Amino acid sequence: MTTDAEKPGAGRTKGALSFQKLQQASILILLVALCVVASFRSSTFFTWTNLVDNLFTNAAALGVVALGMTFVMIGGGFDLSVASTIVVCSVVLVMGMDWLSPYGAAVAIPVALLLTVLVGVILGAINGTLVAYVGVNPFVVTLCTMLIFRGIAQILTGGGQTQQVRDILLRRQFDWVYDAGLRLFGGGREISMPILIFLVVFTVGMYLLRFTRFGHYVYAIGGNEEAAWLAGVNTHRIKALTYVLCGFTCAIAAAIFVAKTETAGAESHMGKELVVIASVIVGGTPLGGGSGGLTSTVIGLLLLRIIDNLLTQFSIGPEYRPVVTGLIILVVVTVDVLAKRRSGK
Amino acid sequence: MFANDNVILRMQGIVKEFSGTRVLDKVDFDVRGGEVHALIGENGAGKSTLMNVLAGRFSDYQGRVTFDGRQVRITNPRQAREMGIAIIYQELSVLGNFTVAENIMFGDEKAGRWTQKLDRAFINAGARDIIDYLGFDLDPERKVGRLSKARQCLVEIAGAVRRKVKLLVFDEPTAALGSEDVDKLFEVIKDLRSRGLAIVYISHRLAELPLIADRVTVLRDGRKVGARQIRECQISALTRMMLGHNLAEVFPEKTNQPGKVILKVDGLSRPGAFENISFELREGEILGIAGLVGSGRTEITRAIFGADKARGTVLFHGKPIFGRSPYLCRALGIGMVPENRKQQGSITGRPVSENLNISILGRLSGVLGFQSSRRLKSQARLMIERMKIAPPFPHTGIENLSGGNQQKVIVGRWLAAESKVIIFDEPTQGIDVGTKSQMYRLIMALACQGRAIILLSSELIEITKLADRILVIRDGRLVREMQGAEADEDSLFAECVRKDNPE
Repeated sequence: MTTDAEKPGAGRTKGALSFQKLQQASILILLVALCVVASFRSSTFFTWTNLVDNLFTNAAALGVVALGMTFVMIGGGFDLSVASTIVVCSVVLVMGMDWLSPYGAAVAIPVALLLTVLVGVILGAINGTLVAYVGVNPFVVTLCTMLIFRGIAQILTGGGQTQQVRDILLRRQFDWVYDAGLRLFGGGREISMPILIFLVVFTVGMYLLRFTRFGHYVYAIGGNEEAAWLAGVNTHRIKALTYVLCGFTCAIAAAIFVAKTETAGAESHMGKELVVIASVIVGGTPLGGGSGGLTSTVIGLLLLRIIDNLLTQFSIGPEYRPVVTGLIILVVVTVDVLAKRRSGK
Repeated sequence: MFANDNVILRMQGIVKEFSGTRVLDKVDFDVRGGEVHALIGENGAGKSTLMNVLAGRFSDYQGRVTFDGRQVRITNPRQAREMGIAIIYQELSVLGNFTVAENIMFGDEKAGRWTQKLDRAFINAGARDIIDYLGFDLDPERKVGRLSKARQCLVEIAGAVRRKVKLLVFDEPTAALGSEDVDKLFEVIKDLRSRGLAIVYISHRLAELPLIADRVTVLRDGRKVGARQIRECQISALTRMMLGHNLAEVFPEKTNQPGKVILKVDGLSRPGAFENISFELREGEILGIAGLVGSGRTEITRAIFGADKARGTVLFHGKPIFGRSPYLCRALGIGMVPENRKQQGSITGRPVSENLNISILGRLSGVLGFQSSRRLKSQARLMIERMKIAPPFPHTGIENLSGGNQQKVIVGRWLAAESKVIIFDEPTQGIDVGTKSQMYRLIMALACQGRAIILLSSELIEITKLADRILVIRDGRLVREMQGAEADEDSLFAECVRKDNPE
């Protein structure tokens, strides 16, 4: 009975709960197996530097976006425009700080950040309004906004020139978002700021998705939108809000990226939307929504990242990465389809 | 106490038109509290349209609706729901990934004011109250997706009762239920009736009405033909009211002559769907397969046609078919007119000519696979003429044809492929009586030409009037074989639900 008391989303289709679990477990097993293999083959894999400083920290920014994407996808939606949204947000952040630099860091940084978040939320709201209220297919909407947002970034940067905050002091101060960290266990080990940001967003996201009425309704809309609407749920608003949330996470990711590279360019993060969507799907949130969760997304994200990391460790050329990534997604999704077919659906 | 004047719903002079065609013509209908009122009629008679007016699916109907003593205009589904009207459709609208309790309480959750935290204790307690009140055997913490169809239906009923509905409409609820579940559902409906709810029961299964209904209203071609107390009328009289024709006019005379065995099914099984099905089919024979929706009858024929995998053998002209697939069956001369015309039959957006010839494009193509559109069209014209398809143009998009004409195109597809065995799954669903009659005559004519026919239908009268032999499928098993001559609608239904004849 304890298994039945789980949150919505634990089971995917009729009677396929065990398969869903199996699939999730299999990804976890794959993850652990990879780690074991890696630690045998490479002396540097299981080190704090490689895992935390390198892998987790690098994964954190897109991880935050993957969390937002999970909301959209559980609600049955889809967002191709995340990379473009990140780009617009980073450009706005850099240009905002540059523009506000005369007022000093204490004003420029928070105001520019606020502006960035506002932009992220507005871009998300544009997607959300078109999908939820107007009723245009999310694939079409976000494919178009993916192009439009990218174009806006190029216009803002005068044709795609890389932007940098001119005030060196201000720039150094903003690096705090990336470079600061929480010191642990002494010995110089620390959890980096991006990881901390990710953990905060993850915790808040978990609360929203699993413990609030909003999260409850997101699952319901992915499960049966018509039924949810008839039950008196404002499905339009909830759906739109998932896109807003996704835009918000893009703004956060933009801040992390800007702090890391100290620059913003209209041409960066090409194709990252696919990495984000891939993590969500590999984790186990299906296209079409109704089930899945944030933990699964984190597992999916880590799996993809660790594979990437291993390829680096074994110095396999970057040209092989897309092939490997594509194969992994294909295998995971195929296993899922086969499992479901066997369970009779 | 005896609620003779306790009218919950009164609909007067309801008129509804779809682009100029009147589908409801001044229909009157009323239901009292504590009453089960059956609404019957052929497909297309207007039952669903009338209930959709009630459900708020149309805002442009004419006529007066009085609900619970007040005159109302129902313009959207949410309004209908808030007024206290619930419709339980065949296609249930439960959330499979949610628990029973979450489904029952859906839309009425409580959350903390500032934290927005969902109150799960409230959900579980509230649901348990309702379940106990109704005496249902449901575990509130179980996922609804893992329950049987019948249990899911109970969840939906419990949700409606939780919302304090006054009127509950059941839209052909037994169509998807097994035999024991039908009994249980009837018990539940009777219990709800005794609690004072007004209940509308839509069905085209006349045989089950005496078990459940108090009154019955018959619709035909969008008009009300009459209303009767169920005690005062006979099934055959209701059938006549429903069809509006003499049955002899609707059904052709049986003139076919079964010959030698053409298809032999031996020990066909698919776990979870059907088990150990064996039978023979003869040339020129019409074999009826009767059973409730969900009994496995469609799955059996799909397996024969190779659309689904199954264990067991199928012999065609005495030779086993290995690796059955629709492709192979077509090549051998087996065709299927599938159950769901829109999704499995018509290739929407493509013209009639292509829909007619899709199974014989290989034969029609020339050098290097070149498809001559002239040849396609002339071939289609032959079939259009033979099948009397209207409008008679090969280039019309199939979606612009009426349901009956679309069905003719799909049948024509298999005639073009010169199939020796044709499986008809619900061939007359959603088509009018005139076209139905044509379809019956066509099926009979095909059998007379020596083709073997397998006929599946929920309208048992079709099977009893057309079939030479009838197989009864119940819960995935072949439970009885009857001769067509000895079966009538009522006895066949009793076989399908394993009940003693109610009368």
